[in-house]
Amino acid sequence: MSTLVAENLRVVRGKATLLRDFSLVFDATESVAIIGPNGAGKSTLLKALAGTEALTGGQVRLGRRNLADLPAAERAQAIGYLPQHFGPHWDLSVAELLEVGAGRARSLPADALEKATAAFELGGLERRRWSTLSGGERARVLLAMVLVVDPPVLLADEPAASLDIRHRLDLVRTLAERGGDRLSVVVVHDLDLAFSFFERVVLLADGELIADEAAARLIADPRLDEVFGVRFERLRAGEGWHLRACR
Amino acid sequence: MRVWLGLAAILLLAMVVAACAGHAWASPADLWRALAGDAALRSRLLVEWRLPRVVAAAFVGALLGLGGTIYQGVFRNPLAEPYLLGSAGGAALGATVALLVPLALPQSWLLPLLAFAGAWGATLLVIGISRVAGAVDAAGLLLAGVAVAAILGALRSFLMLALSDETVSLQVVLSWVLGGIQTPTWAGIGWLALIATGCVGLSLGLARRLDVLGLGEAMAIAFGLEVRRFVMLAVLAGSVIVAAAVAYGGLVAFVGLAAPHVARWLVGPLHRPLLPASALVGAIVVVVADAIARSALPPAEIPLGLVTAVAGGPFFIALLARRLRS
Repeated sequence: MSTLVAENLRVVRGKATLLRDFSLVFDATESVAIIGPNGAGKSTLLKALAGTEALTGGQVRLGRRNLADLPAAERAQAIGYLPQHFGPHWDLSVAELLEVGAGRARSLPADALEKATAAFELGGLERRRWSTLSGGERARVLLAMVLVVDPPVLLADEPAASLDIRHRLDLVRTLAERGGDRLSVVVVHDLDLAFSFFERVVLLADGELIADEAAARLIADPRLDEVFGVRFERLRAGEGWHLRACR
Repeated sequence: MRVWLGLAAILLLAMVVAACAGHAWASPADLWRALAGDAALRSRLLVEWRLPRVVAAAFVGALLGLGGTIYQGVFRNPLAEPYLLGSAGGAALGATVALLVPLALPQSWLLPLLAFAGAWGATLLVIGISRVAGAVDAAGLLLAGVAVAAILGALRSFLMLALSDETVSLQVVLSWVLGGIQTPTWAGIGWLALIATGCVGLSLGLARRLDVLGLGEAMAIAFGLEVRRFVMLAVLAGSVIVAAAVAYGGLVAFVGLAAPHVARWLVGPLHRPLLPASALVGAIVVVVADAIARSALPPAEIPLGLVTAVAGGPFFIALLARRLRS
């Protein structure tokens, strides 16, 4: 069953064409990594899928409904979006941030906050303020805020870019594992992580859809080398992959 | 809970002390006798002049606290103040017209009405300018606000010079521009209480969305907030509240800036507790400042705005220094 369908997406800003007429269909349960070089249109695609980027052409459907016609509050409850950078303007505590995140749901099970606190290992941090948290703790708090309403769709924009290696691994794995029973679409910079943890990989370049295939198939594809402008040595590393770039 | 009881107790204490203070000091016993219905002139003066003024000061302070909290929340800037966006300047211009231009309506009606109109007009003007300039973000609004505030200030000064031939009315305007709590009748206090209650309700209605906005624009949009529309709505709500404060208290600087900060230390940054806490802190500050204004240099009265500016200026500088250092 498909949850999220993007048809003939086109986004033009000024003279720049950010997305050039392509379509994507996402299932209700799968994990998808979006990869591509800088300026490929990954963030724009994610915002378009989240319904927060105005489309020049095409449409995005969530279930049967056009995302553009959906009331903002309803959209916010159905789609969880993790921005690339997040910093609250006020120094809220972890418990307060979760409360604000939960506030966007019309109704929540009574134990939703407790569950999110446990699921993202935030026990004991509830009273700590944002400014006192480490990078890894912040990533978990952000994820808990977005997922506390348990949205069927999660869209994440490289939230791991600024984390150290262990926390990046933890975060990307959590995001990918959510694809087990929900839809999880993540912009991933680290190709090793993209091919090691996600079922499906979407490759963009210059606003165009270059490839959209199962990770296991795309890894062998020469278009990968072409788009990134390097020659990859593909090394099997345990369960995953290690891509070493050579010129 | 302890914080709320503490704030309420401090406000009550401040009001009792303020009711005793003045160029003729009263004792708490005098106050009690006056409240019990004593018919002596001294008691009547206390009940009909000093007490309403203390109560009005509390309401004006509460309104300034609410307005300041909304402005800081909308602009996500702890240095934002109603005065920056032209709304206070607009209200002041409206009130100056009411005081100086002979019009058909009684002044007691005209002053609040024109103050409201001025605040709304100025805020709409600021929003309009930032729209035309294509900068409808917080920074664009702030810049437009500073410019409009300067123009309105100049207009007000011009009106004051051009329209006041008798020095008396100039004095009236000046004392009002420098900030001074009006002394309403008890019926007037009823209206003020009604307006203040409405303003508390209005601002609490914005509380959740102010919290979401505080997460940053990208996150707020993802959380379903229609940011542009909400910013306009909240700015207009803030200007109504500021207009009410200006109509009853003149231009009182720095309370709208300082009260939210103190309240944030006490109850944290979530707006549902922050708004009422700011109102209480603002009320305490203005009641105390007004008492000082009335009793420091008897028999003269220092304009309230000068007292709050002298106390608030250093506060602002300390804040700025702390921000620049971090």
